[in-house]
Amino acid sequence: MKNTSSQPYAAAQHTNGYEFSQGTGYTLPEYDAVIPDAVKSGEIEHHRILIVGGGLTGLTLACSLAQLGVKCVLLDEDNTVGVKGASSRGICYTQKSLEIFDKLGIYERIKAKGIQWSVGRTFAGEDEVYNFDLKAQGNFSLSEQPAFANIQQFYNEGFLVERIFELGHAQIRWNNRVTAFSIENKFATFSIATPAGSYKATADFIVDATGSRSPFHDWLNIEKTIKKGDDRWCIADVRFNTHPPKERHTWIEAPFNENRAVWQHLMADDVWRIDYQMAPDADPAYVSSETQVRERLARQFGAETKVDIVWVGPYAYRSECVNAMAAKAGKSEVFFIGDSAKVVSPFGARGGNTGIADADNLAWKLAAVVQGRASSRLLQSYHAERHEAATTNVQVTNRTARFLRPAQGMERVFRDATIHLAKKHLFARSLVNTGRMAVANPYSRSPITAPDLAQSHSVQNVSFQWANRHTGHLNDLLRWAAGLPLLLLWHAPQSRLASLLMWAQAGRVRMVHVGELMGSLPASEQPARFKETIQDPERRIAPACGFAGAAGWALIRPDSYLAARGAGLDVRAIELALARLQGASRVGASV
Amino acid sequence: MKPKIPMALPNSAIPALADPDGFYEALLDAHSGLSHDESAAYNARLVLILAHQIGRQEVLMQSLALAKA
Repeated sequence: MKNTSSQPYAAAQHTNGYEFSQGTGYTLPEYDAVIPDAVKSGEIEHHRILIVGGGLTGLTLACSLAQLGVKCVLLDEDNTVGVKGASSRGICYTQKSLEIFDKLGIYERIKAKGIQWSVGRTFAGEDEVYNFDLKAQGNFSLSEQPAFANIQQFYNEGFLVERIFELGHAQIRWNNRVTAFSIENKFATFSIATPAGSYKATADFIVDATGSRSPFHDWLNIEKTIKKGDDRWCIADVRFNTHPPKERHTWIEAPFNENRAVWQHLMADDVWRIDYQMAPDADPAYVSSETQVRERLARQFGAETKVDIVWVGPYAYRSECVNAMAAKAGKSEVFFIGDSAKVVSPFGARGGNTGIADADNLAWKLAAVVQGRASSRLLQSYHAERHEAATTNVQVTNRTARFLRPAQGMERVFRDATIHLAKKHLFARSLVNTGRMAVANPYSRSPITAPDLAQSHSVQNVSFQWANRHTGHLNDLLRWAAGLPLLLLWHAPQSRLASLLMWAQAGRVRMVHVGELMGSLPASEQPARFKETIQDPERRIAPACGFAGAAGWALIRPDSYLAARGAGLDVRAIELALARLQGASRVGASV
Repeated sequence: MKPKIPMALPNSAIPALADPDGFYEALLDAHSGLSHDESAAYNARLVLILAHQIGRQEVLMQSLALAKA
């Protein structure tokens, strides 16, 4: 037994290296190194948009820009997706992420490869404390995508890479490692190493997608809010000869893990992720040794269950959030997305999913600015919206972490009391916190949301009927709008449409008429003959836009968040809402 | 004969707390930095204040019995 490692756990926790990992691992795709001409010529490249980091969020951003026809360059330090020899990292993708992937054209591949689930069960000791079925909750059923799908992160990354190859516009440079940063001629300038030599590049807009150990934070003196903990876990990605139910099982106190927590989740390829909570002072090499892992698995699944270990590795988490999601570097503007903006514990799947949403939020704004449709002030809304989301996700995950790893003393006493009561009484179950599953965060203080909306929410990927009665989805309309705001009109009398049609012709907005029951209106009030008319016989679109009563119009952003809505047809309100989405400086009631 | 304790209140499917996680966090924060004895004293004061806020004798009697079980 090796239990005297001099390596303190803390030294291993923040690395992307997997020095204690075990198992057969996954075979990851490898791509050819890209050697730009600048390596030979010695010229300094200048780009409009440069993305550093080809993980989930960097690739989502590159793919989103590519789909909008915007050129960008993405630098990745190695030649593959995922992490070589490592685990799958993120596994659990929310409805919002799946909707974004659907918009980008890779959802069908995820659906075919991944596993859908909606039932979760929480246990303490031998007892089930409670269970939930997400299908029965909230508005999950409105969307074409399921509540959740589980799939190894590198599959999604690989699908994004292949989609980017199809779309063009975005260039992924494999084996291009950023080695230094400086400000030269007033622009942020990177030294980049390739297998054939180095070169330099600058950019107007730089996106830091380098992840949880971003070098940009030091380069730019970024202020952060950090909270460290001592919670320790060990992942085992395994295959069995048995088939546990396709449900999320969580034990707050697992008898087979010395009464510490255990997570059990299914992924693609019939691989299960079993997460074991460890003692805070556990030695990482020891807890992730094959003997220990096999003993633990045997205690949980029975000695007779055959186990094939795909990957094993210890991990710890911290909670960290930048104080601002963007920074200036000379004339260049730097945006933080994904883990380079905030790092959270894994509970509730609030890491990768919110990174995907960061990318989706930033992509259409960068596209609008680079394509000359909006003022660069629009980009300020990225911080306003995604920092609110980041701080919410940090707070929510910190609360879960505190429930799962209570401090000794009164925190522990309250958790014991909560579990004791929750086994008997419904009310106490609301206090049991094994993770609050990620949602599409609403924006309550965004400068580009109409002031009469308390918050901007994500409109789900609802279905409708095209004029020919075929089924369509909101994402079809968003793709067609190609980066422009989408105006849905329920009530569109001929007499009031002149300026709206003008804006549509000028390329400011895309309009669609939504037919419900118009009744016998006088001729002047009959809906205009739109080229684009859809039918909503099951009345899904209006509730998805948040209408309780009669729907008039709704303005939906390219990331499917609601910008404004109204009953009737208020042309002035629509004009103001469009101006906000173009980054107009002061758009208020006083205009 | 033992009095029959109505279970309707704590077993209501309608959550009484609008923000359970926020309450739980505030409760733990209130105990941060307190010694064991200080925490116990804090809890005692809190129970008495909550009893006053609830104000209904039958609900308090039910609650005393439920916490025993």
